[in-house]
Amino acid sequence: MDLPFIKVENISYSYRDEDGAAIPVIRDLSLEIEKGEFVAVLGHNGSGKSTFAKLLNMILTPKSGKIYIDGKDITDENMSEEEVFSLRRRVGMVFQNPDNQLVATVVEDDVAFGPENLGVPSAEIRKRVDDALATVGMSKYAKHEPHRLSGGQKQRVAIAGIIAMLPECIIFDESTAMLDPIGRKEVLATVKKLNSEMGITVIMITHYMDEAAMAKRVIVLNDGRIALDGAPAEVFEREEELRSYGLDVPQCTSLIHELRRCGVRLDGSCSTPEECASLIARALGKE
Amino acid sequence: MSEITIEKVSFYHGKGTPYELKALDDVSLRIHSGIITGIIGHTGSGKSTLVELFNGILKPEEGRVILDGEDIWAKPKEIRKVRFKVGLVMQYPESQLFEETIRQDISFGPKNMGLSQEEIEERVLEAASFVGLDEALLSKSPFDLSGGQKRRVAIAGVIAMRPDVLILDEPAAGLDPSGREAIFSNIVDYKNKTGSTVVIVSHSMEDMAKYCDRIVVMSGGRVFMDGSRDEVFEDTERLRSAGLDIPQITSLMLLLREKGIDVDGGIYTIEGAMSRLLPLLENRSKGDIQ
Amino acid sequence: MKNIALGQYYPAKSPIHRLDPRIKVILAILYIVCATFLGKNMISFGLLLLSAFLLILLGRIPMKTVLRGIMPVLFVMAFAALFQIFGKSGEILLFEWKFIHIYLEGILAAVFMVVRIFALIVGTTIFLTYTTTPIELTDAIEDLLSPLKKLKVPVHDFAMMMTLALRFIPTLVEETDKIMTAQKARGADFTTGSIIERAKALIPVLIPLIVSAIRHAVELAVAMECRCYHGDGVRTRMTVRHLRVTDFVVLLLMIGFGASLVWFNILGIGFSL
Repeated sequence: MDLPFIKVENISYSYRDEDGAAIPVIRDLSLEIEKGEFVAVLGHNGSGKSTFAKLLNMILTPKSGKIYIDGKDITDENMSEEEVFSLRRRVGMVFQNPDNQLVATVVEDDVAFGPENLGVPSAEIRKRVDDALATVGMSKYAKHEPHRLSGGQKQRVAIAGIIAMLPECIIFDESTAMLDPIGRKEVLATVKKLNSEMGITVIMITHYMDEAAMAKRVIVLNDGRIALDGAPAEVFEREEELRSYGLDVPQCTSLIHELRRCGVRLDGSCSTPEECASLIARALGKE
Repeated sequence: MSEITIEKVSFYHGKGTPYELKALDDVSLRIHSGIITGIIGHTGSGKSTLVELFNGILKPEEGRVILDGEDIWAKPKEIRKVRFKVGLVMQYPESQLFEETIRQDISFGPKNMGLSQEEIEERVLEAASFVGLDEALLSKSPFDLSGGQKRRVAIAGVIAMRPDVLILDEPAAGLDPSGREAIFSNIVDYKNKTGSTVVIVSHSMEDMAKYCDRIVVMSGGRVFMDGSRDEVFEDTERLRSAGLDIPQITSLMLLLREKGIDVDGGIYTIEGAMSRLLPLLENRSKGDIQ
Repeated sequence: MKNIALGQYYPAKSPIHRLDPRIKVILAILYIVCATFLGKNMISFGLLLLSAFLLILLGRIPMKTVLRGIMPVLFVMAFAALFQIFGKSGEILLFEWKFIHIYLEGILAAVFMVVRIFALIVGTTIFLTYTTTPIELTDAIEDLLSPLKKLKVPVHDFAMMMTLALRFIPTLVEETDKIMTAQKARGADFTTGSIIERAKALIPVLIPLIVSAIRHAVELAVAMECRCYHGDGVRTRMTVRHLRVTDFVVLLLMIGFGASLVWFNILGIGFSL
């Protein structure tokens, strides 16, 4: 049996408020994520989802419990600096505000920043930068200044900066929250591509239900614990429960639930308009 | 009850520089009083320029902006009075907070209006209650609040000026579903209680369909569509041709029609879909029993 | 506001644009030395003036752009020239009225002064700002100062700080604009009142701006850490610049130019002061 790529064992984390009292954010949380998975982590603001992401990337250290990445204990305090950086390289992170991730005044210099820090030889960096920009569809903008790009374009440059480090897993910490619908679509299409074509494990933290519907697996965090964990359609079945966690379900799922409440028999579950349409069509004998 | 009319307005960004950009092109528009008008459009469609013209932050290069029958730029020195009448809540308004306490921050607008201390306090309390802020919080620092609460303080800071027209640019951006719903229901409440004219700029078709009475669609610096909610959402083809999303329920209806089910495309809410689909599905199951 | 020009870089494909930035920094220093110390007589100043125009031509910078760059120091130039005209005494008196004496030497000194300031500005802007991006300049300075790293001078850290400052200036300018609009919408008035009142009116802009700058800094630090930044250490660079023959030739030409100025000064032909 292979070890899971990410294994989280009973981690807890709390921070201190101004009076010094401990406020728990993550409570005794355990989970496993396999290589190549596409996981969405849902939760309302303050549910602990961003803290969870920062724990996976060693920006924060859990107060108790263990996190293993590819079998390596990342909570080990005696880890050498090289080990820390080699782990950070393997698990990349894309944040919410694209402006706060771009360090250079030219797009391609920014993408080169990660590999440069890792001491990759110059010719190899050049190649990686070109490949990464092509992957996110930003080759045309290689010489542009980041501050003149749209939000979606900036975020794609940020993603290219992570891909250039050749990670095995990327965590997206509400990376679409500040984008307009076009920017969101661009970024989501890129994320999908990274997962399906390059086999990169994706952990997408979000509170958009339609984004969660894209994933293969949805984990709902509430009050620092895992409240639900399953396929999107399974999770969305629990509409009442989700609402009690300050979340929503996609409109289509909500419609199906409403129809059922009125006594209509609809078999199966759905999370996208397509699934919902075939559910209704089947009930009407049109499919 | 106030009404804004825009007459043949054009506006350029960076006029005279190599980066000159025509943001609005001969736009005429009426914002009806006492209802919620939604403005949708892509980034760069001119919608943000439009709202900054409404309250005199920007001055039109051509055309007029008329508030209750008067050109707001008739007396340019008194433009601040227009800003008190037409309250603008910008995108991510929490970034404007600066005072030591929430009370002081909400007072900033009323203070600039030159109101008495009692009047200011009364308005602060009223505005705080509109956005659902607990009175006990008022003496705290705005910087200690959560993101959603900061947003409420910022909105209260504009409401406290008791504007006749309230404009909000993406009021729910970045909030989670329960936060979104809370902000929007506050806005609807505010409109119902005060009878104010409200304008909401948003990308979310679902929110627009849920909360707005009229919809204006902007595209390429022009008014692309302008009508009641039903009129705009019924014309799915036109919405799509502007590259806009349509509500999920509407795309479901279109999918069903493709499958040969007799529904029309102009349905955009769960209630609307229920009233159309339920009879169909019930007939079908009755048919099964017979 | 999004279109502010940083360091006035003028994008073009000129011979000077193509020079190695490190060489350009050295050239700028040499040229400053020439303009400041080596102008002594009409011939050397004539050559300086000529060279300045030649640089503008070679850099393919429109005269209009260069003149716009000189505008801010026009006042200094005029003041220095007048100071020479009225202050300098000599042998050939041209004009006399009450206590005002104007000598030919004074006029010449004024002309020399204007030429000197003009050459200084043209030399620095052509080499360092119009044809070199801020980031190239930062990298060049880091390279040139790298011997100091052995003395534990944190050259890389300073260069990184410069880079980040350059990166965030447009972002903060845009943010200032937004915050000012938001406060204007709440009735803030930035344009009327006494100086003290106006300064006070800026508080509602400055505080949110500082708060936001700090937030940018904190988030940026985390993002940089996630991208494995840990100082100079093992760091490599994507573009390694190699000096080309032209770079050395141009350097030699500049040294030759300085030497010829010295030679003309020694010869002492032309009207020297």
